Amino acid sequence: MPFNGKSGKFNAAIRTVEIGTGDKAVKLGGECVAPLYSFDAPIENAPKVGVLITDHGFENESEGIKAYYEGCSNWGEIAQRAAAMEGADFLVLKFDKADPNGENAPVEDCLAIINEVAAATDMPLVIAGCKNAEKDAEIFNKAAEALQGKNVLIFSAKEENYKGVAASAVLAYGQKVGAESSVDINLAKQLNVVISQVGVDMGNIVMNVGTATAGYGFEYVVSTLDRVKAAALGQDDAQLQMPIMTNVGDETWAVKESTASEADIPAWGPVDARGVNMEVATAMAVLASGSNAVILKHPTSVATVSKLIKELM
Amino acid sequence: MALKGLDIFKLTPKTNCKECGSPTCMAFSMKVAQGAVDISKCPHMSSDAMAALSEATAPPMKTIKVGTGDAEYSLGGETVLYRHEKTFVSKTRYAVRVNAADVDAKMAVIDNVDYDRISERMHVEMVYVDYTGEADYAETVKKVAGKGKTIILGCTDVAAAKAALDVCAAEKPILNGATAANYAEMVEVAKAAGVVLGVCAANIDELYDTTKAIEGLGYKELVLDCTEGTIKDTFATAVKVRRAALAKNPDRTCGYPSIVNVAALTADTTEQCGLASLFTMKYGSIVVMDQMTYAEALPLFGLRQNVFTDPQKPMKVETGIYPINGADENSVCVTTVDFALTYFLVSGELERSGVPVNLVISDAGGLSVLTSWAAGKFSGNTISKFFQENVEDKVKSRKVIIPGKVAVLKGDIEAKLPGWEVIIAPNEAAQLVKFLKDMQENGEI
Amino acid sequence: MLITMSLERGLKAMLINRIFNGNDAVYGLTVGAIDAAIAEHGADKAVGFPDTAYCLPCYYAVTGVKVKTLGDLKEAVGVVKTLMTRNHELDDALMSGVATALCAEFIEALKYIDGAAPYAEPCYGHLSDAIIRTLGVPLVTGDIPGVAVILGSAPTAQEGVDLIKSYQAQGILVALVGGIIDQCEELGYKTGAGLRVVPLGKDVTSVIHIVSVAIRAALIFGNVTPGDAGALLAYTAQRVPAFVNAFKPIDDVILAAGAGAIKLGFPVISNETENIAEVPGALIQQLDTAAMNATSLEARGIKIKVTNIDIPVAFASAFEGEIIRRGDMQVEFDGSRVDCFELVQSKELSEIEDHKIEVIGPEIDEFEVGSKHSIGYVVEVAGKNMQADFESVIERKFHSYINCIEGVMHTGQRDMIRVRISKDAYAAGFRAKHIGEVLYAKIKNEYDAIVDKCQVKIYTNPEDCTKLRHELAVETFNKRDERLNSLTDEAVDVYYSCILCQAFSPSHVCVVTPERLGLCGAVSWLDAKATNELDPNGPCQVITKERVIDERTGAYEDVNEAVKKFSQGAVEQVTLYSIMEDPMTSCGCFECICGIEPFSNGVIIANREYAGVTPLGMTFPELASMTGGGVQTPGFMGHGKHFIASKKFMKAEGGIERIVWMPKELKETVADRLNKTAFELYGIENFTDMIGDETIAEDPETLLAFLTEKGHPALGMDPMM
Repeated sequence: MPFNGKSGKFNAAIRTVEIGTGDKAVKLGGECVAPLYSFDAPIENAPKVGVLITDHGFENESEGIKAYYEGCSNWGEIAQRAAAMEGADFLVLKFDKADPNGENAPVEDCLAIINEVAAATDMPLVIAGCKNAEKDAEIFNKAAEALQGKNVLIFSAKEENYKGVAASAVLAYGQKVGAESSVDINLAKQLNVVISQVGVDMGNIVMNVGTATAGYGFEYVVSTLDRVKAAALGQDDAQLQMPIMTNVGDETWAVKESTASEADIPAWGPVDARGVNMEVATAMAVLASGSNAVILKHPTSVATVSKLIKELM
Repeated sequence: MALKGLDIFKLTPKTNCKECGSPTCMAFSMKVAQGAVDISKCPHMSSDAMAALSEATAPPMKTIKVGTGDAEYSLGGETVLYRHEKTFVSKTRYAVRVNAADVDAKMAVIDNVDYDRISERMHVEMVYVDYTGEADYAETVKKVAGKGKTIILGCTDVAAAKAALDVCAAEKPILNGATAANYAEMVEVAKAAGVVLGVCAANIDELYDTTKAIEGLGYKELVLDCTEGTIKDTFATAVKVRRAALAKNPDRTCGYPSIVNVAALTADTTEQCGLASLFTMKYGSIVVMDQMTYAEALPLFGLRQNVFTDPQKPMKVETGIYPINGADENSVCVTTVDFALTYFLVSGELERSGVPVNLVISDAGGLSVLTSWAAGKFSGNTISKFFQENVEDKVKSRKVIIPGKVAVLKGDIEAKLPGWEVIIAPNEAAQLVKFLKDMQENGEI
Repeated sequence: MLITMSLERGLKAMLINRIFNGNDAVYGLTVGAIDAAIAEHGADKAVGFPDTAYCLPCYYAVTGVKVKTLGDLKEAVGVVKTLMTRNHELDDALMSGVATALCAEFIEALKYIDGAAPYAEPCYGHLSDAIIRTLGVPLVTGDIPGVAVILGSAPTAQEGVDLIKSYQAQGILVALVGGIIDQCEELGYKTGAGLRVVPLGKDVTSVIHIVSVAIRAALIFGNVTPGDAGALLAYTAQRVPAFVNAFKPIDDVILAAGAGAIKLGFPVISNETENIAEVPGALIQQLDTAAMNATSLEARGIKIKVTNIDIPVAFASAFEGEIIRRGDMQVEFDGSRVDCFELVQSKELSEIEDHKIEVIGPEIDEFEVGSKHSIGYVVEVAGKNMQADFESVIERKFHSYINCIEGVMHTGQRDMIRVRISKDAYAAGFRAKHIGEVLYAKIKNEYDAIVDKCQVKIYTNPEDCTKLRHELAVETFNKRDERLNSLTDEAVDVYYSCILCQAFSPSHVCVVTPERLGLCGAVSWLDAKATNELDPNGPCQVITKERVIDERTGAYEDVNEAVKKFSQGAVEQVTLYSIMEDPMTSCGCFECICGIEPFSNGVIIANREYAGVTPLGMTFPELASMTGGGVQTPGFMGHGKHFIASKKFMKAEGGIERIVWMPKELKETVADRLNKTAFELYGIENFTDMIGDETIAEDPETLLAFLTEKGHPALGMDPMM
């Protein structure tokens, strides 16, 4: 008597959200099974991998990342180099320097980068901000306007600025919008609801439920993702059926394990190997819990994670 | 469906005889219902009641013990598929794979990774000794024995396995080598040596049938090797087996811990690390890899430490003074709660500020700032008491920065901690960097 | 009565006639202008506004038809004619208003033929799509709280400019049409889109350019399908907070245009008195230009966010814990010695002048340094969604608000308050009236969902304080307490869910009822109700209780559905009053746990503070480990302390008579209320004397002996299991 287990296919499904245009456009979501359970039913759109570029450039990145971008002299070239990474599905531009509590780079600087990148690549674009809700709203508004017709993802609206960000991104300029909450299913749901009350169709929303690096309170991330997917698929909760994108690289490359130099802690070995593994391990765990896309930094991580995703499909 | 405590209580003798070790029959029943105590601890249960209860209270997934002494580990015994439902009880254990060719080299560095992280020792717990057809497999095993590692014998050759067990049976290894072809002999070998037997197969049906057959021979000290030809099939089997084991109508033939050999799925160590993460999340009781350097250990042990926690009990860090950015006795103090998430968040921002500070963590019951404040565990009393007993003799600075969310404590702390100046931090950790830098620039700290 | 009715009818007929006349006049002009244009340019001549993708936006939005040529326009004006029905009903008049607006759009469009630039500085005329996209976002977010359209000439230029200024100060976008533009120029008042004051044009037809903004906003931000007039009107009425200030004289044409505005949901406020009638909520008279702002905002339901607090010292949570010692104190108000109180009272909207702050009695300047005085502050609030039940919810926040003022300390509540003001704060200029400013600003800010208007009266005369304390404040407090006591589960129509703790306890849902507050002890039914009103998508949601399954156990289909939904399916059914059958789950923050004690046929209760062992052989943490986490454990339940004395406490199993043991400290805390309930329910006096505690028994046998000796009623009750 062979193994006889029940299939875990659900009657509900995650919404499909497309970003980008043309051949390179990517579809997120659409599955009716638990994360990566392609053996229960085919997963229409495999999880996607994005490459993170920040306006800081690569000066402070690990040797491996720096080396990969060596020789790039402008944002267009950087974008093309990033797009050429094996396994890259989309690009993410993040404007850390714009933070008013930091360098407070003007919105025009962000726009200049956006325009250069948009001109240089036909990869789908995700525009991320600087953590400051007010400044983000400004950047997003201008970015959404400048990128009309490109179907980009504005990543993300949050409780403090969702009205303006969602209205400008989706309603005024026809882009997609992220909904960012901090690792709590109820906050995530609430934000989806209020964004849709602005007039945004739920099919234009990608959730960003927050993340942490493995080892850093990551259990909350796991349980939030697990529960969101359980509600979306098991309970057919339409307000949680948006696909999820997770900015893994930004988190994992900020912790000690990925930044401490080999000189400081010789036993730990080279930075790149540690950083890549922190990034890959966290990304795989996030994907296993339900993220439909991960954002990564290191070319090796991008290649590894996208290869493992393909193997699992 | 697990039995409720009251249903169990009804079957107890209700005499509060205390012979089970619990003060009352009710307390005993509740512990049994939680799976904390075995029903057989009650000496006065009628045999009918016992039979009814053993079946109902038997966990759907067996807890299998392997190894001895410090290297004894429990595998399996899970009751849920998701950690938010109930705590995952048995951590994933990582094994390094060795064989005759590389055993010396690998064993030489195996203890390079050995460190503490939030009160837990992190090191390679198991070694998987791969049989490669060598004549003297037992010799290879000998090089691993007695090193404080739980041994897994990856060997489907009955004779070789027998010989290997001769040198290591006392350490309670796992004999991962029963197949559809050899299981009858392997059961005999495992039984004789008193060790746990691993079941290997090409696919899930074969795995299931072989396990069923072994159960038929009366042996239930098993682990199921879910490794198959591809990553996809391996993942599918690991998930399907666990899902069937913990289904509403549990399939007890699936109710055993699992082994996933990611080293057999890819040679690339980065991919192995990614897969180890995947199988830590999804149902690998033992994950076998080619190496465990710090590059693997840092993410995987961190992940495991997070995932295998009580969803209702936040992780706590130890109380004390944590100097950051080279702080000394003259550096300002920053205080917050012992909730691990808060600690990591705050210490990360403090590090980013570059400003030397002494981070003082007192016992706040492992709760977040506002929760512990509301529960009275992070109050003027607790903070001032901790400072008087643990900080005042070690730090000369008399300035302490408290979380913005409990600004209300300022007056109280200043009243109870004479000589100290209390400074209010911003509400969010993310604002700490600018706050500290500004204070430093203005010469306030 | 009959006379007033016929008068009203007469006025309405007059109004309708005037609108029809105005509409006919504009229609005639439009047909003439279109014919003339066709004669000059031919029917194929292109017509339209520059920089818009919506052709003639108003006509396109209403009909779904894109007008591109003069020939199209000729056809369109024919369609407009069909709107001009002439039944003497208000609706016909309003549709004629819409027809008038569309005619205005046609006339304006003709001005742009051949790429002409019909408008010169400072007038804008047509506004481009790009401007709408940039204005639309702040309109959606509420950063632009409203749109004022000022039409005609104010009584004086200064009054006109002052009105514009008042709107600007509130962030409201102002559009100008006609004489008001000249009045601005006369006084050199700066205008421009950047300043959010947009002169459109001097002809009355130019008003269509701001209507066009509202309508394109509906198309762009409201996803309204062109041609879906119903959805369009609903969007402008609900989402575009516009209104019209029309200065006299109001001729028939302006009146007809005004009818169009009213149809879109924009009220018209005017100082005209001749040949006009008020239509409540739509056409409103306000003779005082200075009061037009307030009248308009109230009519359109626009609330202005209060962002800064106008006081001479800092206001921040950092000062919440500040202690002001006797020596540093300028003056003290001490409710324990003299009459003091604080009070929130709900009033009618018409009774309140927003942001009025009065100090009745001497200011602090007149008090000696270090002296003690009376104070009473009454905060009067009004709002469409305000309910008397929210008074206490708002009032409870006063403590935190006042404490956040630098140099001010506040303790207590109701009529037992103490307020100290420091010498430094006084020197910086802080006075009693500033307490009013703080309360006003915080309430308007945090409770904007329920408070539309707010005024503060601060009494500092001892006689006033004594009188008001006893006659007003204490009366109110007594009434509130009575209400709270009479608030039973049966007396209300809905309960509330609370999922504040789901971060820790994913499957737990609290069902909060009047007699069973949240098990953390912190969320009462009133709190949950206010939380729901303030944040309708927040943690507290309404649960109906219409479909009873079992009165005895408190089982409802509605409650079960809600619990299942909010626990994401983890918990399927709960009862409100039973600990044996589907007891309510617990998160882990419960104040107390009750658990069945089979030997005495009752329950024991342990509170979180109790460190010892209970007669069950378990400690509080042991009990908590099996009760928390959102799982149902029959026989055990977490709850708040307050619930112990409730008549609903395990009502299904016989109620509080079942309580056989509590820690001494807990027993003492709840004794008065518990004894009262026991007497009311069973006629038992001093019930707590029959209840064991840790000084009497820590094991079931000793407890049973004690209960037998006392004749505890639980021993004679039906078995619990």
